[in-house]
Amino acid sequence: MLPALSFTEVRRRFGRLAVLGGVSASVAAGEALLVTGRNGAGKSTLLRCLAGLLAPDSGTIDYREDGGPPLDAAGRRRRVGLVAPDVAFYGELTVAENLAFFARLRGLGRERGDELRRRLELPPDRPAAALSSGMRQRLRWAWALLHRPLLLLLDEPFQNLDAAGAAIARGLLAEHLAPGAGPGEAPGLAVVANPVPLEIPRVAASLDLGA
Amino acid sequence: MKRTAATWFLWLWIAAVIVGAFLYAPLAAKFIGQSSRILFFHVPMAWASFVAFLTAGVWSLLYLFGGKRQARQPRCDRAARAAIELGLLFGVLATITGAIWARIMWGSWWNWDPRQTSIVMALVFNGAYLALRDSVEDAEKRARLAAAYATLGLVVTPFFFFVVPRITFSLHPEPVINASGQRDMETRMFQVLLASGAGFTALFFWLHDLRTRLLALADRVLEAHGASAPGDAGAAGAAVGAAAASARTSTQ
Amino acid sequence: MWRPASTWAREAGAVFAKEWRSELRTRYALNTLALFAINTLVVVSASLGPLGAAPGRGGEALPVLLWLILLFAAAAGLPRSFVHEEETQTATALRLAATPSALFCGKLAYSLTLLGTLEALVTPLYLTVMSLDVARPGLLVATLAAGGFGLAAGSTLVAAIIAQAHGKATLFAVLSFPVLLPLLLLAVELTRGAFSGGPPGVALMQLLLYDGAVLTAGLMLFPSVWNP
Repeated sequence: MLPALSFTEVRRRFGRLAVLGGVSASVAAGEALLVTGRNGAGKSTLLRCLAGLLAPDSGTIDYREDGGPPLDAAGRRRRVGLVAPDVAFYGELTVAENLAFFARLRGLGRERGDELRRRLELPPDRPAAALSSGMRQRLRWAWALLHRPLLLLLDEPFQNLDAAGAAIARGLLAEHLAPGAGPGEAPGLAVVANPVPLEIPRVAASLDLGA
Repeated sequence: MKRTAATWFLWLWIAAVIVGAFLYAPLAAKFIGQSSRILFFHVPMAWASFVAFLTAGVWSLLYLFGGKRQARQPRCDRAARAAIELGLLFGVLATITGAIWARIMWGSWWNWDPRQTSIVMALVFNGAYLALRDSVEDAEKRARLAAAYATLGLVVTPFFFFVVPRITFSLHPEPVINASGQRDMETRMFQVLLASGAGFTALFFWLHDLRTRLLALADRVLEAHGASAPGDAGAAGAAVGAAAASARTSTQ
Repeated sequence: MWRPASTWAREAGAVFAKEWRSELRTRYALNTLALFAINTLVVVSASLGPLGAAPGRGGEALPVLLWLILLFAAAAGLPRSFVHEEETQTATALRLAATPSALFCGKLAYSLTLLGTLEALVTPLYLTVMSLDVARPGLLVATLAAGGFGLAAGSTLVAAIIAQAHGKATLFAVLSFPVLLPLLLLAVELTRGAFSGGPPGVALMQLLLYDGAVLTAGLMLFPSVWNP
């Protein structure tokens, strides 16, 4: 069975603002959903709700991986890969140490982290605090893909990346969406949020939050 | 209609308690003058603050771990908050009446007698809970963190009852029902005391119901105007302000 | 979420190792705790002088002062483990990657070792500077261990709560004081017994009960505090 994501009438307010007002969409395996909208339209909020980091005020989020019942928020948190501007790493630890720590948390060996680090051309022994913003973005990609997630949530994923970095990231995204990306050879799915539309493969649907 | 009848009954009951406290119950032997009358109000107030604390704990547990109908439901959060506020009210009243009594009986307002210490700690807890609520902006996070803290309070409080009285010397009169289970108090006094206890408990639950409903209405008003309570201070004033502001912007 | 014990233990161990690795590179908490404790110690001893354990010459105050020093140093240095995660935004990554109970235990183990180090530093200094004799050193060590455990456990949970609120430093003091009071009273009573040679009575058992209660509460409540 293939992974699938759908969400219905998701709403979230912060204090005075109704940031998300009844958003719905669905994404199938091998597809990407592109979410656009002006700043403050709720793109990041939506992604955080999908990731299980925020509880929506109302609405449902249905993500299943193996044809089983939908995962609850805790399940989604463990299973998704998130690339977002507010994901930060431990400044006093090196790149390699950061990846090794998260690999250990997830019960993984070092190989995957090393492989991603090499692919994204990250200097292993540099403290994370000393990384340029572009390098930090590459580290976010490496971290997100560490556990081979089936659902990728990407919030402004090519921000700060130079041409080379963006090309590597696009390649990783394309591989993720192609069959054979995840365990059991199922293609992954992705939700990509960006202020302006992006050139990414396999976009099946677009959701514009801004107005 | 049923609610109104019950409310009238409560008021009559409490009126009867007040009359009974002064006219029906005799004076206690060991107390100065009429001061033993305070007993019928001070003890039930302390009891009510204890009931309030338990109520807040229960609603907080329901908010965190309840079934589908209670978990993460704003009404459980509102009920917990209302209970804490009332616990603060009854606790302050108990402290004040206790201090007055202490002054009459032993000449000083405060002695750090273990029960006085316990009630102060309960007040500090309640105050800390409300301070926490004021420090979190997001409604969902606020409810969750407050419920966790209230539950922690519930876990820690029994230790006050075991630890504090043992460590400090007590000026408080012996408990009414002493170790051997015999009643250590005049029958009529005991009747009035029990009646007052029941009355104050009912008074707490009635006030709690009112306060919870008021909080629910305030939330609904603010939501209808596209805003929610700033911090927790909410209320009609902010709603009116928000309504006026939205009326102004919509005509621009 | 249920995970097998071995992976859970590995997770907690990874968190513990990461905390100490970061700490040894920045030494922020160690510096704060040590300097705070020593400063307080200097103030206490300079104003009271070497009183020894003689009762009636302020000797009754000495157990209290030791625990006040530990309490305030803990309040200064322990909350950082959670506050720092939120402020530097590393908490997001941790929320997605770690099992809450393992995370809590890893952080608790770190707080325990930090506090234990502080106790090992402060207590001998305190005894020396105040010219105190300890009639029952075993009881003192047990009290420091059990009291330290409760102090670390309570502080870790409250730190997790306030890390997500505003006004963190003062809020920590406001929230933790009522929670930690029974612990302090028991620890002071036992310490007094350790200095003067009286029997511990039922206090040690109550302190252990408190430790168990706070640990259980922490394990139960932390997932709700940490995640929506």
